[in-house]
Amino acid sequence: MPREGLGDKSSFSSFHPLVSFAYFAAVLGLGMFSMHPLILALTVATGAAYTFLLGGGKALRGALLVSLPLLVFTVLLNPLFNHRGATVLFYLNDNAVTLEAILYGLAAASMLVGVILWFGCFGRIVTADKFIYLFGRVLPSISLVLSMCLRYIPMLRQRYRQIAEGQRCMGRVYGARQPIRRLRQVAREVSILIAWSLESSIETSDSMEARGYGLPGRTSFHIFRFTRRDGWALAVIAVLSAVATAGLVGGITEVYYYPSVVCTHRLTDILPVAAAHLALLALPIFIDIEGERRWRKWNFEM
Amino acid sequence: MAQVEFRDVSFWYPMSDGAALQHVTIQIEQAEFVVLCGPSGCGKTTLLRHLKPSIAPYGKREGQVLYRDRSLAQLDRRAAAQQIGYVRQSPDEQIVTDKVWHELAFGLESLGYDQQTIRRRVAEMASFFGIQTWFRRSVSELSGGQKQLLNLASVMAMQPQVLVLDEPTSQLDPIAAGEFLQALRKINLELGVTIILSEHRLEEVFPLADRVIAMEDGHITCSGPAREVGDFLSRGQGRDRMFEGLPAVMKIYAQIGTGGMCPLTVREGRLWLQSLLPPRAAVTALPQPAESRTHPKPVLAEAKDVWFRYSRGGVDVVRGLDAQVYGGELYCLIGGNGVGKTTALKLLGGIYRPYRGKVLHRGTAMANNKNSLRVGLLPQDPQALFTEITVEEELFDALGDSRCPDREKERRIEQMLAQLELQALRRANPYDLSGGEQQRLALGKILLLQPELVLLDEPTKGLDPFFKAVLADILKGLAEQGIGVVMVTHDIEFAAEHADRCAMLFDGQIVSQGRPRAFFSGNSFYTTAADRMSRGVFEGAVTYRDVVELCRQNGI
Repeated sequence: MPREGLGDKSSFSSFHPLVSFAYFAAVLGLGMFSMHPLILALTVATGAAYTFLLGGGKALRGALLVSLPLLVFTVLLNPLFNHRGATVLFYLNDNAVTLEAILYGLAAASMLVGVILWFGCFGRIVTADKFIYLFGRVLPSISLVLSMCLRYIPMLRQRYRQIAEGQRCMGRVYGARQPIRRLRQVAREVSILIAWSLESSIETSDSMEARGYGLPGRTSFHIFRFTRRDGWALAVIAVLSAVATAGLVGGITEVYYYPSVVCTHRLTDILPVAAAHLALLALPIFIDIEGERRWRKWNFEM
Repeated sequence: MAQVEFRDVSFWYPMSDGAALQHVTIQIEQAEFVVLCGPSGCGKTTLLRHLKPSIAPYGKREGQVLYRDRSLAQLDRRAAAQQIGYVRQSPDEQIVTDKVWHELAFGLESLGYDQQTIRRRVAEMASFFGIQTWFRRSVSELSGGQKQLLNLASVMAMQPQVLVLDEPTSQLDPIAAGEFLQALRKINLELGVTIILSEHRLEEVFPLADRVIAMEDGHITCSGPAREVGDFLSRGQGRDRMFEGLPAVMKIYAQIGTGGMCPLTVREGRLWLQSLLPPRAAVTALPQPAESRTHPKPVLAEAKDVWFRYSRGGVDVVRGLDAQVYGGELYCLIGGNGVGKTTALKLLGGIYRPYRGKVLHRGTAMANNKNSLRVGLLPQDPQALFTEITVEEELFDALGDSRCPDREKERRIEQMLAQLELQALRRANPYDLSGGEQQRLALGKILLLQPELVLLDEPTKGLDPFFKAVLADILKGLAEQGIGVVMVTHDIEFAAEHADRCAMLFDGQIVSQGRPRAFFSGNSFYTTAADRMSRGVFEGAVTYRDVVELCRQNGI
C-alpha cells in the first residue's frame, strides 16, 4: 500500500456517489446513537484503520491529534460535573467522582472520536463533485451555484496574489507594528478584488447567456453511472445497516451507565447485531484491500 | 441565400455622439471563414455582438441583421443560443463551472438535452479537440490555451451553424494561439461551420481567411481576399493605423513595391524574395550597431546563480539564473510557457526571494525586505491595480502615501496624463477604458512612484499594433531617463524591434542572450517572420525594416 494512502485511487470511491453517500449516512447515523462499548470500540478501530488506509499515517496522525485531547478532556470533565453513579471512587471538594461517570465520559468521547474519524473518510470519498451531483438531483440550481463557487475560489485566490504583489511593489507593505495601516491595506486589496471580480463576472454571465442559460427545461448532466455493482453494494449496505439499526432500535445494544453499568442483553444476543455492524464498518476496508490485491495480481500477470 | 447578412446597419450607444457602426453592409455565405480586422475601438466587437441576440448591445439601431433571410431579432431564443456560437477574449471569465466535463455540458444542459445525448455530444467534442486526457480535471489546473480551447469546444458541443469569435487568441501565447487557430480551421474545413473572427494577429489568420473585412471608425473600409485587403491597407487612406499589424511578408512586399503576386505566408515570401534577388546578393547584412555607447551603463539588478521553487516539496522553477539588468535599457525575457519567465522577473525585482544564490540591487544584497532600489511591477492584468472610479483619481491614489504638497501632486499627475496621452479620458472609469488604455493607466500609476527598475509582465498582450507602438515609445522614453525596463513577453516581433537586449529562458535558466539582431538570427524557429523569410538570403535581418533596407541596398 502506498505510504500516502490510497486517496482517490481507492476502489470504494469508484462506486456511484449514491452508494458512498448511503454508506456514510448509515455509518455516521448508527455511530451517533450507539453507546454500547463493543460497538464503540469497533467504530473507532475501523474508523482509524480506514483513515490510515485512505490518507496514510499523516491523515491518521492528524485525526488523532484532534480526537485524543478531546477524549482526555471529556473523560476528565464529565465526572467533575456529573456525580451520578453507584461506585464512588473518591471525593473532590465534597463532590463524588464516580466510576460510572468516568465510563460514560469515555463512551461519549469514543462516540465523538468515531464520528470524527468516519467523517474524515466521508470527506475523502464523497468529493465535492459527487456532493454537487447528489445535491443536483434534489436542487439543480443549488448544484450549479456550488460548482460555480468551486470554480471561483481558485481564481480569486490567484487574483488576490497578483493584487498583493502589485501593491507590494507600490511600496505598500506594512509590518505588524502598523496594525491600522495594515488593516486598511488589506481592505484596499479586497476592494480591488471585488471590483475586478464583479467587472469580470459580466463576461461570465454573457457567456452563460450565450450558451442558452435561462431557457426553460434545463437538465443536469453528470458523469456517474449506476451499474449492477452499485446495486449490489447498495443492497449489502441496506441489509447490514437494517440489522444494525434493528439492534439499536430494538434495544439489544442498549447500555445503562447510571446508576451502574448494565448491558440489557447477554453477549450472545448482541453478537449477531455486532457482527452485522462490524461487517458494515469493515466493508470499504475489505473492498479497498481486495481492490489493491487484484491490482497487484494483475500487475504480476501483465 | 446568405447565412448572415448586415443590411445597412448603423448603431449608436446611448449617451454617445458618434455612431459605433455606420451603414455596415456585409453578406456572409455558408461555411465562409471571415476575418474582421481593424484598430481597437473601430466597432469590431459591436458588430460581432449584433450576431448574438441575447448579448446584442443596447442602443439605437437602424438597418437589419438577417440570419438565413430572416431578421435575427425574430429568431427564438433557443435557436439563437444553439445555432450561433460566441467565443470571447478572456479564457478565464467565460468558464462557468469547476470541471472540464461540466463546462463542456453546460450549453447542452441549458438546451435541456437528456443524459444520453449530452454524454455522446460531450464525448464527440472532447475527442475532436483532443480534450479527453484532461476531461476530468478542474478548470483551475488548465493553462490559458487549454481554457480557450475548452471555451471553443463547449460552444461547439451545441453544434452551431455560425461561430463568432471576438479576438479569441489575444490572451494566448503564440504556440497556444496557433493551436487554437488550427482548431478553428479544422472546424471550418471538416464541419463546414461559418466562422466570423476578429483578430489582431494577422500574421497567422490571413492565410486561413476566405475573406478579410477591414474596419475603421465604425464602417467597412475594404472587404475581399486577404491579398487584396493587405494591398489596400498598405496603400491609401487605411495605411496609418493598420499597416503595422499586417504580416511582415506583406509589409515588405508593400514597401518594395514591385509587381508580381503579393505573398501571404513565409513560404511564399521566401520564394518571392529569392526571385527578386540575384543568387548572390551584394549586401547581405546590415552593420551591427556599436556595442557600447560613450558612457557605460550602471548595473541596476543582478541575479547570481539564483534558484527558486514555490514550495518546499515543489520542483525548481528557476535553476541557476544569471542575469544583469542595466539602467537605461529595455531587456526582454522570452521563452515558451512555464519556463519560469515571470518567476525570473519577480526574482530580479526582489518580490520573490531565492533559496539559493543572490539577487543584488545596485551591487548590494537586499536586507530585511528593504530594497535599495525602487521597483515597479506592472501585473499581467492591469485591473489588479485599479481602486478608484476615475483615471485622475487612480493616478492620485499612487501618490496617496507621499508627503509632497497637493499642488505638486497635481502637477505630476498632469504631466503623467500628458505623457501617457490620457488627458481626454481623465474622467472615465478605469474599467471603461480599452485594454491598451488600461495598460497605460496602470503603467502611469507605477511610474508616479518614480521607480528605477520597471518590471512588465506581458505588456503587449491583447494590444493592437497601434497601441504597441505607443507603448514602445513610452518604454523608450523611460530607458532614456536611465530607468531599467525588464519585460517578459511572447511577442517576438516586439522584442526584435524595440529591445536593447533579449534573453531566452528555458528550463529555468538563460540559454542565450544578446542584442536582438544577433540573438534572433541565431535562432531558427523561435524568431521573427522577417528573419524566417530572409534567412539564407540575408543575415540578421530580423525586422521587416531590416529586410526592406537590405533590399534597397541591393538596388531593388
